[in-house]
Amino acid sequence: MSLLAIRDLTRRFGGLVAVDGVSFDVHEGTIKAVIGPNGAGKSTLFNLMTGFDRPDAGAVSFDGRDIVGMRPHKVVAAGISRTFQNTQLFEELTALENVLVGMHTRLRTGLVGGALRMPWTVAEERRALERASYLLRLVGAEQYAQTHAADIPHGMRRLLEIARALAAEPRLLLLDEPAAGLNNFETQSLSKTLYKIRDEGVTLVVVEHDMGLVMEVSEEIVVIDQGRKIAEGPPLLIQKDAAVIEAYLGEEGAYV
Amino acid sequence: MGTVAPRIRFVLFAAASVVIASVPFLTDDRYLLKILTFVGLNAIVVAGLALLLGFAGQISMGHAAFFGLGAYTSAYLTTAHEVPWLLAVAAGTLLAATGGLLLALPSLRLKGHYLAMATLGFNEIMSVLFVEMRGITGGNDGLSGIPFPSIGSFVIDSPAAIYILVWAVAALAFVGAANLVRTRPGRAMRALHGSELGALASGVNTVGLKVQVFAVSAALAGLAGALYAHSVGFISPSQFSLEFSILLVAMVVVGGTGSLTGPFIAAVALTLLQYVHALIPGLSKDAAALIQDWEVDISGLIMILTVIFVPGGLAAFLKRRRSGAGEEGEIA
Repeated sequence: MSLLAIRDLTRRFGGLVAVDGVSFDVHEGTIKAVIGPNGAGKSTLFNLMTGFDRPDAGAVSFDGRDIVGMRPHKVVAAGISRTFQNTQLFEELTALENVLVGMHTRLRTGLVGGALRMPWTVAEERRALERASYLLRLVGAEQYAQTHAADIPHGMRRLLEIARALAAEPRLLLLDEPAAGLNNFETQSLSKTLYKIRDEGVTLVVVEHDMGLVMEVSEEIVVIDQGRKIAEGPPLLIQKDAAVIEAYLGEEGAYV
Repeated sequence: MGTVAPRIRFVLFAAASVVIASVPFLTDDRYLLKILTFVGLNAIVVAGLALLLGFAGQISMGHAAFFGLGAYTSAYLTTAHEVPWLLAVAAGTLLAATGGLLLALPSLRLKGHYLAMATLGFNEIMSVLFVEMRGITGGNDGLSGIPFPSIGSFVIDSPAAIYILVWAVAALAFVGAANLVRTRPGRAMRALHGSELGALASGVNTVGLKVQVFAVSAALAGLAGALYAHSVGFISPSQFSLEFSILLVAMVVVGGTGSLTGPFIAAVALTLLQYVHALIPGLSKDAAALIQDWEVDISGLIMILTVIFVPGGLAAFLKRRRSGAGEEGEIA
């Protein structure tokens, strides 16, 4: 059984059909890429999968459970985390604190416990700090632990957002253009990080424009164009797919 | 979260506590103790408003109304029904929290200016109710003969004792708030302020959290109001006007966002400003009257100058100095 099953998902904005009857599956332990030209509906698709938007029709089922209509924080608690195309970090908080916020659904301390600083609050904080430091090391951002997010270089910010998403202990991680704005070296280290994350047992869905990265890391690719799924398969087949070359890569197909 | 900073914070807190606690031993001037008690009461409200406005980023122009709700509830219960003081204060606090909850539920879907207008409207409505619900509030004449705080036969009736009671509560409020902002719920508040999308994606129930913080903040205002009623013995509607709400917001704005120390200092300074005519010995009558007339304008001017020239408030100064010493990521 697939971890995530998307069926006939449709979202209209006025006259525009941003996502048009898209169906696909994501299998546990794999990295799946979603590609398509700008405005193809990829980010809308992500929003529909994470409770940030509601579909007009269709279903999203996660581990056999329908998650359409769930509020975003419930989706996180259910086991799906995400990052954003425009990173949404907490600029005034340190990198470590950003990751600690990501652990929100896994910690228990409430207003009363927090204000009174009960012994179990202190113990929970200590465990949380250890785990947050581990996650920063996992993405290679440990040297920025005490730096405010606003002062962290661009490439690191993307990795920090990934660490924050991982802090929720998701089973499924959705990354929206993680390589955008990264240089070659940073993209290389990103692909290593993605493998590390998968090896920790997290399933990944990546929306990405960087074809090098997509072809390298993904086991399966879904191609979206004008809201419709036009192809799905392993990278080697997608590269040769006539419809994909036509719609997505156009005349410049050679650069795949 | 360096290793030195918490120690500095602790030393600062301990030093401030010693200074505040030694005041009743240094003076027996009833008027001075009363003024300093008002400083403590405002500090309690500001602890809650700093959480709401400075950390969670939600404005309230209605905190004077919560203060009044606590004051009238506790005053009414003790005068008309002879409810024990402690219970009456608890009831005042709880009613203010409930009021906060009921106001927050619909209005926190609003943002920025709209939230300001909604809470401002709430303050005006409450002001009218304080006047019109004569059976309970005594109308424009107010409520008098409010008993001193007491537990059983132990009555806290000297200005020094009331001063200590109020400042003990203020210390607890600030310690609680300082603890809160460094643990899960407080981090979530600060996250919410930074990026609502990011907070949602981190699993924070943003609406629920805002409502909770609003209720806590209103509860602290209600608690301070109840303590106020029993320390002055007389309350009337004009004490809980929009003007007081604005002064409270000014304290947090001048103190700086994301900080408790800044708003605390601003609360002390802006409260004392109201009584500066009485505090400076040998001040001529004319000068005292002049300051009294312009006090609101001076507070307003300080707020405007802060927003224009130091948007980060006092806290920005504190942080700059600390990060200069090589300690980043600190909550002032």
